[in-house]
Amino acid sequence: MSKVQDAYKEIENTIGSDYVTDKDFMKAAYSRNVDPAFPDRWADMIVRPETAEELSNIVKIANKYKIHMVPRGGGADLVGGSVTQGGILLDLTRMNKIIEVNTDDYYVIVECGVTWGALLSELLPKGYTTGVTGPGSGYSATIGGGLSNSTAGGGSTKYGLVPDICLGVEVVLPNPQGTIVRTGSAANKYAQPFCRYGVAPDFTGLFMGDVGTLGIKTKAFLKLFPDPPFKKNLMFILNKNDYQQVFKLSHEVRKWVNDGLLGMSFVPKLLVQMMASQAKEKPVKRPRLKGPLCNITLEATDERIIDVYVEKVNEIMTKDNIARPFDLREINPTLEIPEKWVYKMKNLFNYFHPLISVAPAKVTCTTCHKIPFSSMDEISRVAPAFDIKHKDEFQPGSLSLWAGVIAVLPNGNFVVVGGFNADNVEDQREDSMKLWHKKLHHQVRYGGAHYWLGESISQSIVEAGAYTPDFMQFFKDIKRTVDPNFLLSPNKFHLHAYDDDYTKYLVREEE
Amino acid sequence: MKKITEFEPKEKFKHLAKLGDKVLQCIACGDCREQTDYTAENPKWGVCVARDNTPGFEPYFARGKMQIIRSLWQGKLELSKELAEVIYQCPTCNACADACVYDMDNAAFYEALRAELVDANCGLEAHNPMNKAMVELLNPYERDNKLKKDWVEKLDFKVKDANTETAEVLYFVGCTAALTPEIQSVAINTAKILNKLGVDFSVLGEREVCCGSVGKRTGDLSAFNSVATKNYDLFKKSGVKTIITSCAGCYRTLKADYADYTEELGIEVLHSVELILKIINEKNIQLNHLGVTATYHDPCHTGRNSGISAGVTPLYEEPRILLKKIANLVEMKTIKESTKCCGAGGGIKKGFPELALKIAKARVQEAEETGAEYLVSICPFCNRNLSDAITDLNSEIKMIDLMELLDQALN
Repeated sequence: MSKVQDAYKEIENTIGSDYVTDKDFMKAAYSRNVDPAFPDRWADMIVRPETAEELSNIVKIANKYKIHMVPRGGGADLVGGSVTQGGILLDLTRMNKIIEVNTDDYYVIVECGVTWGALLSELLPKGYTTGVTGPGSGYSATIGGGLSNSTAGGGSTKYGLVPDICLGVEVVLPNPQGTIVRTGSAANKYAQPFCRYGVAPDFTGLFMGDVGTLGIKTKAFLKLFPDPPFKKNLMFILNKNDYQQVFKLSHEVRKWVNDGLLGMSFVPKLLVQMMASQAKEKPVKRPRLKGPLCNITLEATDERIIDVYVEKVNEIMTKDNIARPFDLREINPTLEIPEKWVYKMKNLFNYFHPLISVAPAKVTCTTCHKIPFSSMDEISRVAPAFDIKHKDEFQPGSLSLWAGVIAVLPNGNFVVVGGFNADNVEDQREDSMKLWHKKLHHQVRYGGAHYWLGESISQSIVEAGAYTPDFMQFFKDIKRTVDPNFLLSPNKFHLHAYDDDYTKYLVREEE
Repeated sequence: MKKITEFEPKEKFKHLAKLGDKVLQCIACGDCREQTDYTAENPKWGVCVARDNTPGFEPYFARGKMQIIRSLWQGKLELSKELAEVIYQCPTCNACADACVYDMDNAAFYEALRAELVDANCGLEAHNPMNKAMVELLNPYERDNKLKKDWVEKLDFKVKDANTETAEVLYFVGCTAALTPEIQSVAINTAKILNKLGVDFSVLGEREVCCGSVGKRTGDLSAFNSVATKNYDLFKKSGVKTIITSCAGCYRTLKADYADYTEELGIEVLHSVELILKIINEKNIQLNHLGVTATYHDPCHTGRNSGISAGVTPLYEEPRILLKKIANLVEMKTIKESTKCCGAGGGIKKGFPELALKIAKARVQEAEETGAEYLVSICPFCNRNLSDAITDLNSEIKMIDLMELLDQALN
């Protein structure tokens, strides 16, 4: 028997035959995620453990036979992060229990296979929230995926990225012992998981945004916040296509509203015009669409406070005629807009998916990358310049947007969400992948900080030469400490083996 | 340039090819795997009952099936009996389609895939006797079709024979209600209500031919076409212009899968609740309130499968309007488009009875949580499976068809 077959037998003995498979049609079903530009990848086997202990045993077996592993949460990944060619694919969605909602001490304990939709449907009706409400794929995306990808999403303007609400994790290390560790205050065996710092170095941070390279998350301890009951949504449109003003307005609103600012984002003028052109019923009066659209959501614990926020935001946005209040019915008169702010998960989780594969079916190469506030104006010129320079490399009919949406994150940074598409045709997919990597290198080199790195972005950061040799060595040393056989997600960050020379992946000719 | 859509699906997979390249639009986001949304108009607490009650690997729910279809098209995978074992563990309830942002009619893909499996001699063995009987005996229960007239003899009034007499309405009883003694009450009560309301109706009795739903859902299109053609001839010969049925499966099949036939023959297909509600409203008939508490189970075939596959307005409101007139309606956690399937459909009851029971037990437990005395539905097949679950659970809730309650309320 091959080592894979031997390992299969042992895993079967560990978790039972129902939850491990190596059938071809099962492999086919797990061969891709929301990443149609990628070639399909077939694992050697797929396992669905239910507990950290089962997972630990699988890790031991994988180490015994030196078989690589890739963890997979909801499988809503866009960048090849949760598929594997060969090896063991760890489907973690059976670990989906909400273990404790502690409203006294404001924390929640979940298994990492819980989806954002499931967790929020438990918390929000009780008046609590995790603050960050997960990515645009939150109906199916898991908490573990959010932590592993350092994801932003609903509420991120105020509460930050998913790791910012994390108090600690339980992780199975990919070492031969399959060690199970807990971080944050949960590292103290006498303590509850109520805080992140103090017990030891912040080892939680080691596993945040690691895209499943350093450990396999099984439980997460998350912050719980009272959900402020008063919310209001405001919209403005800038009177000029001026990204310096996007920076300044964001800066001012952040400065004066701060805690009341739940969400703030901009939609570029081009996209607003496209939205207007696609409205089924045209408005009588042609709308004035001269700059980006700004969407602001405010929240407060008292109605009087939110009124003050509204007044302040209006003052900032309309000062010197920089922007004017905007109503989406200006471009689509049939839109029904509720008078009061209503929490709708569909809006939260279903805005992105419909854009990925418009008919006829498309492949989409997108990224979310962060840039500092003050660089907005420059990036608004530098980013589209790539598209102009490489215009001949885009496929016919391809649509490229340097930004589809620009969202404000804590401190002073934006996340720019953009990308391009192509027809879902074999050679277009291959060419698109090449162009996508080039574009990623470009973004890395203008100082963008990506998240949901998966395989393609994590590799692109390495290829662009962003990491210094000392950093790469440090990263590899850390990796070797937790994963001496380099078995967990070996392709990501080009961390194929300890002795592998990463410089061979550098792409210098584009610099 | 070779498109994925040019992987010779037309020659190799003729049933899937009919659906075009829509499968490529599945982005594999997984919203069909898990969708919990308390803010939805009808809150969603999960999507796929098959996934919830099986080992749950991707092929047990929509995303995996769509990837499998893609891999078949790409020539990377072959049809097999092993594949069929999983593909048939799905009630084709189309909850996945409702969860999808791309207007997928997932059940249509599953039915086409099953048809490919049957053509490749990889269909489920357990379905063969059922589909064979459907063609040879005109019912899938492997029983003498003459028994279909038994329930008529239990009535204390005469019902017109559609084979020899004309009537305004043909009551298409369906095999489950006609041939399952415990569920004959659906047919009896429907007839009694029609009689009380003064509807001029007829039945086909022993000559009634199965609508073919089981063949269509399980991929045996040859069996389906055989009975569909027979029904076409019967309907044509009878000259009927309105067909009603009290079976959700027959309703969906006659309404959607026979659409070409019924359009050609100028036939309107209604579920009995539609006709009864119309008459009650028109004649301003007062129904007695029975003083009971009831919860309502939406059959997939009058709900999602009608709306998504047939493009007709799902029958969510009609049964509720009637039920509210005669009972205190208490809703379950999942209703209407978010309803959890009973688990009987798509050939599961025949192919995987334990799975069907497991799914039904979960639905009964959901019904029990409402505190209702009655679990009401408008589908004899849901009725049968949920009744089995009630028995297995030793539950106190009583399964009843809306027709039976309505008959009581019409006295």
